[in-house]
Amino acid sequence: MQQQKTATLATIFSEILADLAFMFSEEDDTDLLSGEEWLETSINYEGTVSGTLRFWCTQAFSVVLASNLLGIDPDDENASSQARDAAKELMNIICGQFVTAVHGTDDVFELSIPHIEGLSETPDCAEAQDSEVAAFIVDGEQVRLSHTPH
Amino acid sequence: MSKNVLVVDDSGTIRQMIRRTMKVAGLDVGEVYEAANGIEALAQLNDHEVAVVLVDINMPTMNGIQLLTRMKETASLRDIPIVIASTEGSTERIEQLKKIGATGYVRKPFQPEQLRDVLTPLLGVLDDATTEDSDAGDDLF
Repeated sequence: MQQQKTATLATIFSEILADLAFMFSEEDDTDLLSGEEWLETSINYEGTVSGTLRFWCTQAFSVVLASNLLGIDPDDENASSQARDAAKELMNIICGQFVTAVHGTDDVFELSIPHIEGLSETPDCAEAQDSEVAAFIVDGEQVRLSHTPH
Repeated sequence: MSKNVLVVDDSGTIRQMIRRTMKVAGLDVGEVYEAANGIEALAQLNDHEVAVVLVDINMPTMNGIQLLTRMKETASLRDIPIVIASTEGSTERIEQLKKIGATGYVRKPFQPEQLRDVLTPLLGVLDDATTEDSDAGDDLF
Protein backbone atom coordinates (compact mmCIF):
# COMPACT_ATOMS: atom_id res chain seq x y z
CA MET A 1 0.00 0.00 0.00
CA GLN A 2 2.79 2.39 1.00
CA GLN A 3 4.64 1.43 -2.15
CA GLN A 4 1.57 2.36 -4.21
CA LYS A 5 1.32 5.75 -2.48
CA THR A 6 4.98 6.45 -3.20
CA ALA A 7 4.41 5.55 -6.85
CA THR A 8 1.42 7.93 -6.92
CA LEU A 9 3.53 10.65 -5.31
CA ALA A 10 6.28 10.11 -7.89
CA THR A 11 3.78 10.37 -10.75
CA ILE A 12 2.25 13.55 -9.34
CA PHE A 13 5.69 15.06 -8.83
CA SER A 14 6.71 14.37 -12.42
CA GLU A 15 3.45 15.66 -13.88
CA ILE A 16 3.34 18.85 -11.83
CA LEU A 17 6.98 19.63 -12.47
CA ALA A 18 6.40 19.24 -16.22
CA ASP A 19 3.12 21.22 -16.25
CA LEU A 20 4.20 23.99 -13.94
CA ALA A 21 7.89 24.44 -14.67
CA PHE A 22 8.55 22.55 -17.94
CA MET A 23 11.08 20.41 -16.08
CA PHE A 24 11.27 16.71 -16.84
CA SER A 25 12.32 13.98 -14.46
CA GLU A 26 14.02 10.62 -14.92
CA GLU A 27 14.36 7.90 -12.30
CA ASP A 28 17.71 7.95 -10.54
CA ASP A 29 19.35 4.79 -9.20
CA THR A 30 22.60 6.41 -8.14
CA ASP A 31 23.69 7.57 -4.69
CA LEU A 32 23.36 11.22 -3.79
CA LEU A 33 26.44 13.26 -4.59
CA SER A 34 28.21 14.87 -1.69
CA GLY A 35 29.51 18.42 -1.83
CA GLU A 36 26.20 19.88 -2.96
CA GLU A 37 24.18 22.44 -1.03
CA TRP A 38 21.05 20.50 -0.05
CA LEU A 39 17.61 21.71 1.04
CA GLU A 40 14.86 19.76 2.79
CA THR A 41 11.24 20.84 2.40
CA SER A 42 8.46 19.22 4.39
CA ILE A 43 4.69 19.59 4.55
CA ASN A 44 2.10 17.80 6.71
CA TYR A 45 -1.48 16.95 5.89
CA GLU A 46 -4.17 16.10 8.39
CA GLY A 47 -7.69 14.79 7.89
CA THR A 48 -9.17 11.30 8.14
CA VAL A 49 -5.55 10.21 7.90
CA SER A 50 -2.38 12.22 8.23
CA GLY A 51 1.16 12.18 6.96
CA THR A 52 4.25 14.10 5.93
CA LEU A 53 5.78 14.66 2.53
CA ARG A 54 9.48 15.44 2.35
CA PHE A 55 11.43 16.74 -0.61
CA TRP A 56 15.20 16.97 -0.87
CA CYS A 57 16.78 19.02 -3.62
CA THR A 58 19.92 21.00 -4.25
CA GLN A 59 20.04 24.78 -4.05
CA ALA A 60 20.90 24.71 -7.77
CA PHE A 61 17.68 22.80 -8.54
CA SER A 62 15.57 25.27 -6.58
CA VAL A 63 17.08 28.21 -8.49
CA VAL A 64 16.25 26.57 -11.84
CA LEU A 65 12.76 25.76 -10.54
CA ALA A 66 12.18 29.39 -9.54
CA SER A 67 13.51 30.68 -12.85
CA ASN A 68 11.23 28.36 -14.82
CA LEU A 69 8.19 29.24 -12.72
CA LEU A 70 8.87 32.94 -13.18
CA GLY A 71 9.99 32.78 -16.80
CA ILE A 72 13.35 34.40 -16.03
CA ASP A 73 16.99 33.46 -16.48
CA PRO A 74 18.50 31.29 -13.70
CA ASP A 75 21.23 33.94 -13.37
CA ASP A 76 18.59 36.56 -12.57
CA GLU A 77 18.85 37.69 -8.94
CA ASN A 78 15.10 37.13 -8.56
CA ALA A 79 15.55 33.40 -9.28
CA SER A 80 17.98 33.05 -6.36
CA SER A 81 15.84 35.10 -3.99
CA GLN A 82 12.70 33.08 -4.81
CA ALA A 83 14.43 29.66 -4.89
CA ARG A 84 13.40 28.42 -1.45
CA ASP A 85 9.92 29.87 -1.82
CA ALA A 86 9.57 28.02 -5.15
CA ALA A 87 10.50 24.69 -3.54
CA LYS A 88 7.97 25.29 -0.75
CA GLU A 89 5.20 26.13 -3.20
CA LEU A 90 6.01 23.08 -5.31
CA MET A 91 5.48 20.90 -2.24
CA ASN A 92 2.28 22.73 -1.33
CA ILE A 93 0.85 21.97 -4.76
CA ILE A 94 2.11 18.38 -4.78
CA CYS A 95 0.64 17.73 -1.31
CA GLY A 96 -2.78 19.08 -2.31
CA GLN A 97 -2.82 16.90 -5.41
CA PHE A 98 -1.46 13.87 -3.53
CA VAL A 99 -4.14 13.80 -0.83
CA THR A 100 -6.97 13.93 -3.34
CA ALA A 101 -5.29 11.37 -5.63
CA VAL A 102 -4.85 8.90 -2.75
CA HIS A 103 -7.82 9.69 -0.51
CA GLY A 104 -10.38 11.13 -2.96
CA THR A 105 -12.21 14.45 -2.89
CA ASP A 106 -14.87 13.67 -0.27
CA ASP A 107 -12.77 14.47 2.81
CA VAL A 108 -11.23 17.78 3.79
CA PHE A 109 -7.51 17.76 4.54
CA GLU A 110 -5.72 20.61 6.27
CA LEU A 111 -2.25 21.25 4.88
CA SER A 112 0.49 22.82 6.97
CA ILE A 113 2.57 25.73 5.75
CA PRO A 114 5.60 24.11 4.04
CA HIS A 115 8.88 24.30 5.94
CA ILE A 116 12.28 24.48 4.28
CA GLU A 117 15.76 24.30 5.71
CA GLY A 118 19.30 24.07 4.42
CA LEU A 119 21.21 20.92 5.31
CA SER A 120 24.81 20.88 6.44
CA GLU A 121 25.47 17.52 4.79
CA THR A 122 24.11 15.19 2.11
CA PRO A 123 20.66 14.01 3.27
CA ASP A 124 20.05 10.49 4.49
CA CYS A 125 16.61 10.15 2.90
CA ALA A 126 16.04 6.64 4.27
CA GLU A 127 16.32 7.98 7.82
CA ALA A 128 12.58 8.51 8.25
CA GLN A 129 10.94 5.27 9.33
CA ASP A 130 8.08 3.79 7.29
CA SER A 131 9.02 5.98 4.36
CA GLU A 132 9.71 5.03 0.79
CA VAL A 133 11.82 7.34 -1.26
CA ALA A 134 11.28 8.22 -4.90
CA ALA A 135 14.52 9.21 -6.62
CA PHE A 136 14.81 11.38 -9.70
CA ILE A 137 17.21 13.41 -11.76
CA VAL A 138 15.73 16.66 -13.05
CA ASP A 139 17.77 18.87 -15.37
CA GLY A 140 20.92 17.13 -14.17
CA GLU A 141 20.11 17.64 -10.48
CA GLN A 142 19.30 14.80 -8.08
CA VAL A 143 16.08 15.11 -6.08
CA ARG A 144 14.38 12.81 -3.55
CA LEU A 145 10.78 12.64 -2.36
CA SER A 146 9.15 10.64 0.41
CA HIS A 147 5.78 10.08 2.06
CA THR A 148 5.52 9.13 5.73
CA PRO A 149 2.08 8.16 7.03
CA HIS A 150 1.44 9.10 10.68
CA MET B 1 -11.15 51.16 -17.99
CA SER B 2 -8.89 48.40 -16.67
CA LYS B 3 -9.79 47.03 -13.28
CA ASN B 4 -7.43 46.38 -10.41
CA VAL B 5 -6.74 42.94 -8.96
CA LEU B 6 -5.44 41.98 -5.53
CA VAL B 7 -3.41 38.74 -5.38
CA VAL B 8 -3.20 37.21 -1.90
CA ASP B 9 -0.71 34.35 -1.49
CA ASP B 10 2.08 33.75 1.00
CA SER B 11 4.33 32.61 -1.83
CA GLY B 12 6.07 35.48 -3.61
CA THR B 13 6.78 33.08 -6.47
CA ILE B 14 3.09 32.38 -6.94
CA ARG B 15 2.20 36.08 -6.78
CA GLN B 16 4.74 36.80 -9.53
CA MET B 17 3.53 33.77 -11.50
CA ILE B 18 -0.06 34.97 -11.32
CA ARG B 19 0.97 38.41 -12.57
CA ARG B 20 2.73 36.74 -15.49
CA THR B 21 -0.14 34.31 -16.10
CA MET B 22 -2.67 37.15 -16.27
CA LYS B 23 -0.48 38.82 -18.88
CA VAL B 24 -0.04 35.60 -20.90
CA ALA B 25 -3.80 34.96 -20.66
CA GLY B 26 -4.42 38.32 -22.27
CA LEU B 27 -6.36 39.77 -19.38
CA ASP B 28 -6.59 43.54 -19.43
CA VAL B 29 -5.82 44.30 -15.81
CA GLY B 30 -5.05 47.66 -14.23
CA GLU B 31 -2.91 47.62 -11.12
CA VAL B 32 -2.02 44.28 -9.55
CA TYR B 33 -1.65 44.66 -5.80
CA GLU B 34 -0.11 41.93 -3.66
CA ALA B 35 -0.54 40.65 -0.11
CA ALA B 36 1.11 37.73 1.68
CA ASN B 37 -1.80 36.97 4.01
CA GLY B 38 -5.31 38.05 4.96
CA ILE B 39 -4.19 40.87 7.25
CA GLU B 40 -2.06 42.43 4.52
CA ALA B 41 -4.94 41.95 2.09
CA LEU B 42 -7.34 43.91 4.30
CA ALA B 43 -4.79 46.73 4.48
CA GLN B 44 -4.49 46.76 0.68
CA LEU B 45 -8.28 46.78 0.32
CA ASN B 46 -8.42 49.72 2.69
CA ASP B 47 -5.91 51.66 0.57
CA HIS B 48 -6.94 50.74 -2.98
CA GLU B 49 -9.98 50.21 -5.14
CA VAL B 50 -9.95 46.56 -6.22
CA ALA B 51 -12.34 44.80 -8.61
CA VAL B 52 -11.35 41.19 -7.91
CA VAL B 53 -9.44 39.44 -5.13
CA LEU B 54 -7.55 36.23 -5.97
CA VAL B 55 -6.86 34.34 -2.73
CA ASP B 56 -4.91 31.26 -1.65
CA ILE B 57 -6.36 29.26 1.25
CA ASN B 58 -3.28 27.97 3.04
CA MET B 59 -1.54 31.06 4.47
CA PRO B 60 -0.14 32.02 7.87
CA THR B 61 -1.54 34.81 10.09
CA MET B 62 -4.96 34.99 8.39
CA ASN B 63 -5.79 32.28 5.87
CA GLY B 64 -7.98 32.55 2.78
CA ILE B 65 -11.15 31.28 4.44
CA GLN B 66 -10.75 33.74 7.31
CA LEU B 67 -10.19 36.57 4.82
CA LEU B 68 -13.23 35.53 2.78
CA THR B 69 -15.36 35.43 5.93
CA ARG B 70 -14.08 38.82 7.10
CA MET B 71 -14.75 40.43 3.72
CA LYS B 72 -18.30 39.08 3.63
CA GLU B 73 -18.90 40.50 7.13
CA THR B 74 -17.64 43.95 6.08
CA ALA B 75 -20.18 46.12 4.26
CA SER B 76 -17.61 47.96 2.14
CA LEU B 77 -15.93 44.72 1.00
CA ARG B 78 -18.71 42.17 0.72
CA ASP B 79 -19.52 42.88 -2.94
CA ILE B 80 -15.96 42.44 -4.21
CA PRO B 81 -15.71 39.12 -6.10
CA ILE B 82 -13.32 36.66 -4.49
CA VAL B 83 -11.69 33.88 -6.50
CA ILE B 84 -9.96 31.12 -4.57
CA ALA B 85 -6.69 29.88 -6.09
CA SER B 86 -5.67 26.84 -4.09
CA THR B 87 -4.14 23.41 -4.32
CA GLU B 88 -7.00 21.88 -2.34
CA GLY B 89 -9.51 19.73 -4.21
CA SER B 90 -12.00 18.55 -1.62
CA THR B 91 -15.62 18.89 -2.79
CA GLU B 92 -16.68 19.63 0.79
CA ARG B 93 -14.14 22.45 0.99
CA ILE B 94 -15.34 23.86 -2.33
CA GLU B 95 -18.96 23.74 -1.12
CA GLN B 96 -17.88 25.50 2.07
CA LEU B 97 -16.20 28.24 0.01
CA LYS B 98 -19.33 28.69 -2.10
CA LYS B 99 -21.46 28.89 1.01
CA ILE B 100 -19.25 31.56 2.58
CA GLY B 101 -19.48 33.58 -0.63
CA ALA B 102 -16.53 32.82 -2.91
CA THR B 103 -17.25 33.79 -6.52
CA GLY B 104 -14.98 31.28 -8.21
CA TYR B 105 -12.30 28.65 -7.74
CA VAL B 106 -9.22 27.68 -9.69
CA ARG B 107 -7.06 24.78 -8.60
CA LYS B 108 -3.27 24.98 -8.59
CA PRO B 109 -1.45 24.27 -10.78
CA PHE B 110 -3.54 26.15 -13.33
CA GLN B 111 -3.00 27.04 -16.96
CA PRO B 112 -3.33 30.67 -18.17
CA GLU B 113 -6.60 29.73 -19.92
CA GLN B 114 -8.16 28.52 -16.66
CA LEU B 115 -7.30 31.75 -14.89
CA ARG B 116 -8.59 33.71 -17.87
CA ASP B 117 -11.89 31.82 -17.86
CA VAL B 118 -12.49 32.55 -14.20
CA LEU B 119 -11.37 36.18 -14.22
CA THR B 120 -12.79 37.33 -17.58
CA PRO B 121 -16.43 37.65 -16.49
CA LEU B 122 -15.30 39.51 -13.38
CA LEU B 123 -12.97 41.93 -15.17
CA GLY B 124 -15.17 42.36 -18.19
CA VAL B 125 -12.55 43.06 -20.86
CA LEU B 126 -9.87 41.25 -22.82
CA ASP B 127 -7.02 42.49 -24.94
CA ASP B 128 -5.99 41.28 -28.42
CA ALA B 129 -4.06 38.24 -27.17
CA THR B 130 -7.26 36.52 -26.12
CA THR B 131 -8.55 33.67 -28.24
CA GLU B 132 -12.17 33.29 -29.22
CA ASP B 133 -12.84 29.99 -27.52
CA SER B 134 -13.14 31.42 -24.04
CA ASP B 135 -15.65 29.71 -21.77
CA ALA B 136 -16.11 32.98 -19.88
CA GLY B 137 -19.44 33.18 -18.18
CA ASP B 138 -19.65 29.50 -17.32
CA ASP B 139 -19.72 28.27 -13.74
CA LEU B 140 -16.68 29.79 -12.04
CA PHE B 141 -16.19 26.75 -9.79
